[in-house]
Amino acid sequence: MQPAVEIQDIVKRYGDTAAVDHVSLNVPAGTIYGFLGPNGAGKTSTIRMLMRILLPDEGRIRVLGEDLGKVNLERIGYLPEERGLYKKMRLLDQLTFFGEIRGLSRREARNRSGAWLERMSLADRAMRPVEDLSKGMQQKVQFIATILNEPELLILDEPFSGLDPVNSNVLKDVILEYHRRGHTIIFSTHQMDTVEKLCDHICLINKGRVLLEGTLSSVKQRYGKNGVSLRFEGDGTFLHSLPEVASFQDNGNEVFLRLKDGVDPGRVLDAARARLSVLRFELAEPSVHDIFIEQVSGDVR
Amino acid sequence: MKAMHVIRREYVENVRRKSFIVTTFVVPIMLSLFIMLPMMIAMMSPQRVSRVAVVDQTGNIGADFVAALTDTLKNGRPQYVATIVPASGEGYEAARKAQIDAVQRGETDIVLAIPQGIMADEKAAYITREQRNYNVLDRFEKVLSDVVLKKRLAAEGLDYERVKNLTAGVKVEMNQLTAEGHVEKKSFLSEYGVVVIFALLLNTAILSWGATIAKSIVEEKGSRIIEVLLSSLTARDLILGKLVGVGMAGLTQLAIWTLVGLTLTGGALPVVLAQIGPLHVPPIVFLYFVIFFVLGFMLFASLFMIIGAMSSTEQDAQQMQAIATLPMIIPLMSLMLFMQNPNSGVAVGMSLFPPFTPILMLARIILLTPPLWQILLGIGLMLATIYFAVTFSARVFRVGILMHGKRPSLRELIHWYRMAG
Repeated sequence: MQPAVEIQDIVKRYGDTAAVDHVSLNVPAGTIYGFLGPNGAGKTSTIRMLMRILLPDEGRIRVLGEDLGKVNLERIGYLPEERGLYKKMRLLDQLTFFGEIRGLSRREARNRSGAWLERMSLADRAMRPVEDLSKGMQQKVQFIATILNEPELLILDEPFSGLDPVNSNVLKDVILEYHRRGHTIIFSTHQMDTVEKLCDHICLINKGRVLLEGTLSSVKQRYGKNGVSLRFEGDGTFLHSLPEVASFQDNGNEVFLRLKDGVDPGRVLDAARARLSVLRFELAEPSVHDIFIEQVSGDVR
Repeated sequence: MKAMHVIRREYVENVRRKSFIVTTFVVPIMLSLFIMLPMMIAMMSPQRVSRVAVVDQTGNIGADFVAALTDTLKNGRPQYVATIVPASGEGYEAARKAQIDAVQRGETDIVLAIPQGIMADEKAAYITREQRNYNVLDRFEKVLSDVVLKKRLAAEGLDYERVKNLTAGVKVEMNQLTAEGHVEKKSFLSEYGVVVIFALLLNTAILSWGATIAKSIVEEKGSRIIEVLLSSLTARDLILGKLVGVGMAGLTQLAIWTLVGLTLTGGALPVVLAQIGPLHVPPIVFLYFVIFFVLGFMLFASLFMIIGAMSSTEQDAQQMQAIATLPMIIPLMSLMLFMQNPNSGVAVGMSLFPPFTPILMLARIILLTPPLWQILLGIGLMLATIYFAVTFSARVFRVGILMHGKRPSLRELIHWYRMAG
């Protein structure tokens, strides 16, 4: 099956700085693809190029098997990072309008909007202007506008920001439902636990370049052989300077250590027990969170 | 075509707004009040009985004056209750002083003092504590003049009515030859009123609807709705949809204004305006009004669209709009001069300058019906300008709408234009 998105060597410059610097990546069809990176890494610029809002200075983009210039943008649903809704417009009218400009007939757009408002428990607000809604509700409305015409490819920029756990779950269920039906979903987010739970592919970019890309399990495998997760009581700062330890991450209640190649984890456990009361010691694959931090802080190009 | 959805959205949302309903119905009411209020005030006679003391040194003019002062209030009762205070010779000054004191004490309202020399050229005196009421003063002066005039004529053995008829003035009626060869009655005052009303309406309509476009673009830009819009439709569809949708909302408003205007001119307004002079608004003027609104709106809206696309905040946009409205203010300011000779070379030239055309060509049409070729040339020049303005703004729009931060310079604008090409 051909990839949903193929990006080949794209470059986007603002003045002298390259926000996107020779990025290439493939988003396989039917995956939930986590597009990760710190602030200013070039994620939003890349997404905007995918949506033809910006034009790349170099490189080529193919979406859903067609050159980007030719693809019908109705096939792509885009939830921008900064939400945009008409404040004074009634919910139902607004969703109908967004459905219409995305290729639905007026009737179809209205019916689907009504059904979605029902499902998102917003039906009682259908005739109210958007400005009367809470931030979280507006977020749901924006999400409905994105998926109303059931696009084959969904690009969601921070879809869960501002949502409480209950509403996050409602959204997550919809996303998983789309995934099961074979739609491709690209996620851009800082919420690593979400990535961990939802994504099957990830791509990490920093300073406009791809640091790593692949299935979640393959990325983790590359790291997982020599990781140790350790929970203890006492001052564990000395762990950082153990000769067996390649890198050290303090996560608060626990630390994550990456060991040097070929090191016996038992020796680290012994060293730890000598000076700390160890509560838990686990050979672990790193979380996406750990990989993110290690990669980005190690990237001192 | 996706522009259709934008047209519908812009139209419905604009017509549904509270401010639309308010301006649509309040503006005509305000305008009619503006015209009618001075007349209504002038027509309103005082509703109070005034006590008048006529201090009369002549011994007979006072009585004649009171007899002639027959004004009544709305309820039919006499407006003035006059008492004659005869005061011959040296008693005049004292009587006058006494009556002024009576005014001071509030026992009487007006003192009219008629000296012996009134038959020659001495002045009578009108003394009151009330706000100056020129209507009453005028009335007193007229009645007293008539009385004195009658006496003077009688002294010469002449008949008052006869002399009045013989010395009646001659009136010259203002007429104008139209392009079609009709002779039409004209009155400068009523024409000026009509031109000013139409010019103000046109000016308000074009500028406020142009500003609506700028505002909606700034909103879409500021809230990033624009990113969703541009990922679903082209900049051309969006611009076209806005121009047509907002323009139609404007036309709806004008249609309501026109209906109200026609009702008023067909009903109450002529009665009032008849006092100034014959009011004549040929129906064709309303047609031209609509044409020039559409053209003026398109021209200025494309300018306002660039402003909206360039601005990141509404304040930004407002500053630039102030400059952009100058070309609409100039014709308004020159209207008075222009009206004195709407056919001069300068006037014709100015009315053919596209930004001035809507107001000045319409003014010329109301004033003298210029040759058809001039009207058509003006419309043609505007259409050409609109074509370039819309093309330019569409290209600048696409680039500018996604830029945030610093306001661009003219050089950057031109750069955007080239980028989009």
